[in-house]
Amino acid sequence: MSDKKQVLLAVSAPPFWHCGRTIRSFSLHTLLALAPAAVLAVMQWGIPAARVMALAMLAAVLTETACRRAMGAKMTWGEDGTSAITGLLLAFLLPASAPWWIVVLGAAGAVGIGRMAFGGYGANPVCATLVGWALIYVSYPLPMDASATLLSTDLIDPLAKLRAFGADAVGLSSLDLLLGRQLGGLGAAQSGAILLGGIYIAARGIVHWQIPAAFLLGTAATASVFWIADPAAHAGPLFHIFGGSTMLAAFFLATEGSCSPHRVIPMWIFGLIGGALVVIIRTFGSYPDGAPFAVMLINLLAPMCSVIPTFPFGYRNGGRR
Amino acid sequence: MKQRHQILNDPRFRLVYDEHRPFTEAPAPRHLRLNREGFTLAPGVKKKTQVYPGMLLATHPSMEKGDLHSSVYGVISDINVRSIFIDSADPADLDGSVRDAVVEPFDLLASGLEGDALIEAVKKLGVNTKSIGKKCDVLVINGLNPEPGVAWAEPMLDGHCPEIGAAIKLLCRIGRAGRLILAVPEGTVIDSREFDGIEIAYVEPEYPNSIGELLIKRITGIELPEGWDYVGIHNVWSLGRVALRGLPLMRTVITIGRGAQHENFIVRNGTIVGDLLEDAGIEVENGDTIFRGGPRRGEGLDRLDRSITKGAIGFFLMKAGEVPPMDGDSPCINCGACVHICPTRIDPRMLSRYAEFARFDMSRKAYFGLCVDCGLCGYVCIARRPVLQYIRLAIAKLEQEDAIKRLVPIEPIGRN
Ligand code: SF4
Ligand code: SF4
Repeated sequence: MSDKKQVLLAVSAPPFWHCGRTIRSFSLHTLLALAPAAVLAVMQWGIPAARVMALAMLAAVLTETACRRAMGAKMTWGEDGTSAITGLLLAFLLPASAPWWIVVLGAAGAVGIGRMAFGGYGANPVCATLVGWALIYVSYPLPMDASATLLSTDLIDPLAKLRAFGADAVGLSSLDLLLGRQLGGLGAAQSGAILLGGIYIAARGIVHWQIPAAFLLGTAATASVFWIADPAAHAGPLFHIFGGSTMLAAFFLATEGSCSPHRVIPMWIFGLIGGALVVIIRTFGSYPDGAPFAVMLINLLAPMCSVIPTFPFGYRNGGRR
Repeated sequence: MKQRHQILNDPRFRLVYDEHRPFTEAPAPRHLRLNREGFTLAPGVKKKTQVYPGMLLATHPSMEKGDLHSSVYGVISDINVRSIFIDSADPADLDGSVRDAVVEPFDLLASGLEGDALIEAVKKLGVNTKSIGKKCDVLVINGLNPEPGVAWAEPMLDGHCPEIGAAIKLLCRIGRAGRLILAVPEGTVIDSREFDGIEIAYVEPEYPNSIGELLIKRITGIELPEGWDYVGIHNVWSLGRVALRGLPLMRTVITIGRGAQHENFIVRNGTIVGDLLEDAGIEVENGDTIFRGGPRRGEGLDRLDRSITKGAIGFFLMKAGEVPPMDGDSPCINCGACVHICPTRIDPRMLSRYAEFARFDMSRKAYFGLCVDCGLCGYVCIARRPVLQYIRLAIAKLEQEDAIKRLVPIEPIGRN
């Protein structure tokens, strides 16, 4: 007993057992889930795609570090991996031909304005990636247009074509879309790979599966309505799900914790509205791919969804306390 | 169950261990530290007083709190506002009157006492009667291990079950509950001779079903039904032990755990944890964490000279690095995991923030009082925030606030 008093114990608050999951492990799993799409993108576009992705991740991490320094917060070099994910998701929405300054501007905007300006990871009211994306997409539409790469590829942008020539002219099967044989964001276009990754993170419990399910359901349902009304002018539900960045939006963008609801019913409402907006923007809006904008809109709606009352324990029963 | 979707199914949530070894009597401690907060010292108890097992040291003014007895032969080495310290001694070295002192057994079962008189007798024998004496229509005896890692409930239902049988007889005589139900893990084989005449409810032994409120929900299907209450089997077992032996309660059953190993011990009230670890041959190194209670809700100890007191359910050692460290400064990242898992459907995410930023007024609106202290919110928090601790802080602060509100201002005495 006597000399045992010298031991320095670590004191902590309960619970002393933890599920073992950390922000970092979540990030690593998410990066793993994004890897197949990244690999396919490099196979499709070669080094330029790798360049965009690496640059976006690097710029995102450096921006976070710089902001932390300016804020006087604890210095990290993006160890938790969240800013790298933001950067990579942004790269997934860019064409492989995007010039370096656009990539850097977008990544810096995503992390700097989209996230750090609100206080850091998890405090942003709108998906940080999309803030950066919107910044460059609206300011510099030309270098952001995947069609600029048209000359170097046989791929076609299904959404641009749909907008310009109608559903019949697209000529891409769902399988083509699923296998990434479409022109679009370099990673977002790899619908099949994104779907695989998405299922992985949903199964791991990293994102709540209800949101992507509702999002895709909303897309399919709304697209079906238009399609049944006029099959010549509108594309079918599978086209809208697999074409463009719907899949990426459903699994990776709409599920960002800080800007989505956490209870089951609000999650379904949130996702369904988002999915519907994708098709509505694609049909009536002035931008061909509505998915990123749809996500930004529902992000703003998330606090409303959370207002839906839940009945706490025993409440229906009159509540004892 | 909800958590199956949420977290990767954690086998540690199981509350049964196929543990049937009888409890081991822990070696006699060399030092004791007894908690005396709120107690009134018995006449003649002061520094240097010699004590013997079962000697009354202090009484508690509340009917709900058992009195305090010495659990060893020894000498009181110090008394401060919070604790009584005793150095144990060989009876041969003590005065004759102390050495030969005998505590007369008091047979509660044969005494014929009933109702409040019985409660008082039980309290005098050192058993806490707060839960035992609850007035309700149905009292559920919670026969599940209170939390994962704690493993004494199964032996109490088989090898050590005579105590429970005796306690049930006493509970019937106390007569404050209209009906008694014993809740046991599914698949338990009950010795009907010991548990004669009590209703048995079988419950899935999966945390957090062992939390009283949730247990009652499992049994009735209703959340917080009127007239239902619960008492832990630990408390009931202590009552039974006193009933069978007739001597004051001087020991408590705890699980001592380290890593995946655990064993149940009967430990004397006030045993210093350092002694306990030494006797069990467990080495503690810098950076390790020890805690009293269970791994979900227990209380971290800062020094090895803290003690195990009556009602403690376990004592655990965790090697440094076994879990990611809790990070008090970590901001909530709004992942929603805690919201999703909270069995009472309150919002630990916001509640923890309200407490973090001292907005206790907001906690009130967020049903803070419904928290059943299960600790699942902290268990799933990937930012490693002390979520449960924040909520406990809010509860404590608001209770204080309420207590102050209840105070009646004293009228100044008029001078005229
Ligand atoms: S401890 Fe946490 S999870 Fe459990 S009831 Fe309280 S707030 Fe909910
Ligand atoms: S689990 Fe932790 S980080 Fe996630 S919402 Fe709850 S308190 Fe915040």
